[in-house]
Amino acid sequence: MSCIEARSLSKSYDGLEAVSSIDLSVSAGKIFGFLGPNGAGKTTTIKLLTTLIAPTSGTIHILGMDAIRHPLEVRKKVGVVLQQPSYEPTLSVEKSIEKYAMMWNVDKKLQKDRVEELLSAFDLHDIRKKKNDDLSIGQRRRVQVAREFVHDMDLLFLDEPTVGLDPSARRSLLDYVKKKVREGLTIFFTTHILEEAEYLCDEIAIINKGKIIAVDTPTELKNKFGREKTIKIHIGETRKDLSVLLQGIHDYQIEYDSGTIITIRSHSSEDVLLKILQILTVNEIPIEDLSVVPTSLEEIFLTMVKNSNASSGSISK
Amino acid sequence: MHPVVRLVNRNLTISLNMGFLIWQVIFPLIYIFVAGFAYTALIHEVPFANKRLDYPAFIASGMIGFNIMNSTLVSGIIIWNDRRHGMFEQILVGPFTRAQYILSNVYTIGIIGLISAGLITAVGYPLFFKSVEFNILTIPLVVFASITGSILFGSIASIISTRLKSSEGFNVVINTVFLFFAFVSTAFYPAEGAPKALAMAFYFNPLTYLVDVVRAGIFGNFNSLVGLEMLVLACGSVILFVMATKLLSKLEL
Repeated sequence: MSCIEARSLSKSYDGLEAVSSIDLSVSAGKIFGFLGPNGAGKTTTIKLLTTLIAPTSGTIHILGMDAIRHPLEVRKKVGVVLQQPSYEPTLSVEKSIEKYAMMWNVDKKLQKDRVEELLSAFDLHDIRKKKNDDLSIGQRRRVQVAREFVHDMDLLFLDEPTVGLDPSARRSLLDYVKKKVREGLTIFFTTHILEEAEYLCDEIAIINKGKIIAVDTPTELKNKFGREKTIKIHIGETRKDLSVLLQGIHDYQIEYDSGTIITIRSHSSEDVLLKILQILTVNEIPIEDLSVVPTSLEEIFLTMVKNSNASSGSISK
Repeated sequence: MHPVVRLVNRNLTISLNMGFLIWQVIFPLIYIFVAGFAYTALIHEVPFANKRLDYPAFIASGMIGFNIMNSTLVSGIIIWNDRRHGMFEQILVGPFTRAQYILSNVYTIGIIGLISAGLITAVGYPLFFKSVEFNILTIPLVVFASITGSILFGSIASIISTRLKSSEGFNVVINTVFLFFAFVSTAFYPAEGAPKALAMAFYFNPLTYLVDVVRAGIFGNFNSLVGLEMLVLACGSVILFVMATKLLSKLEL
């Protein structure tokens, strides 16, 4: 079953298209990653999907409901952690989660248990009596995210939820999200941190300049766009002629050459590596260290955005 | 629980903190007991309808209207605080409509206005009890003034909250508005006897109408002018409420 179905979705502000005819389909029980550089249209898309703003054109179905015609019905089933901080400055951590549960009409008997569970899961026990106004940015963000799990929902939008969190809080949050997905929740997740997307997401869409430029699983994205690998060689003596020695090899590109460390990118990394080893052996060049690193999602992302910018630039010209 | 009731519950929880209550009680008490008695040496009596009130009684009754304005201006800025702290958008992505959010603010403002009026009436009662002439007609006047005044001043604060973006600008405007409303009115002194231009300026101020109707209710003085003032108060609160609602409905996210 599809949790989110958006077709030809567009949003313009004063003639400028923030989101341009995008199609999205998110399956139930999955974590869908939505990546893009700043100003790509991620937050506008979330605002459209959460019914906060109306689209200029296109259709949105959330959990089988028409989100444009029945926004309130959609919102009753959906949780949203917006990118911007949101908090009640005068309330304590505990009270703000309790009040949020009350706002969502959570049964009073359930409220107490859930508040305790969230205080524990998000490591908020020690600061439960502290006022939101007195918290650090990271603590406030933890409360904001924790609060959203106090009510029942079928779909949760997380707009860069880990901003401001330290690595351990970040990992705890991601693991908690994974646990909730195993229990049946669907997550729409935006982030700038590609490692997070790789760790968490079943499927990823990349948006740039309001258009979706790729949608696939992280593995497939790597297979499609990341066959290139990086070979890093550290030799035992300084050789100024290293790049000259390697000239006979095909399908490679030197990224960095200091005379002792050379970094090479290649689509045929095994062949290239063998040839390099032969050349180094023939020339009696000692090897200190050698590694082959597969292309990360981050590199794929950067390449795709760069290519997309270049192609839209050439179109506009 | 109905969504509006849940939002009112939340609004009251965030508004009724110790600082707010101290502000609501201490501030008018200073005016009533310090200014009221200190000025008695200068102002022995104040003419009011067919009576002559002593100044502490006059100012204590004025403080009821003043406190309604004061508290509803403060609670009316719930919208401002919600926008500033991201709760406005957060509520609107929750199980609430904009209309419910607006309505919850009106109820909150009304409740706070009535509580404030009740509080100051209780505190000020010993000062004006000698001149009090409550009857079946006049008590509703106080309630009417409290409700329409709350909506009117709450709407003004809401309008300011939707129009301004910077904290500095908001503080300047809300303080200026407060100063004008508080001191260019009949809350502290009667219009009669003031320079003509100033007396006229009093009647460009909704607090004057609110205070006059409250006093008419307390001292049993209903006449055609009070009736007209009630009409102005009712029309003003409706117009400003519609304006605030429209602005809030159109507020871009």
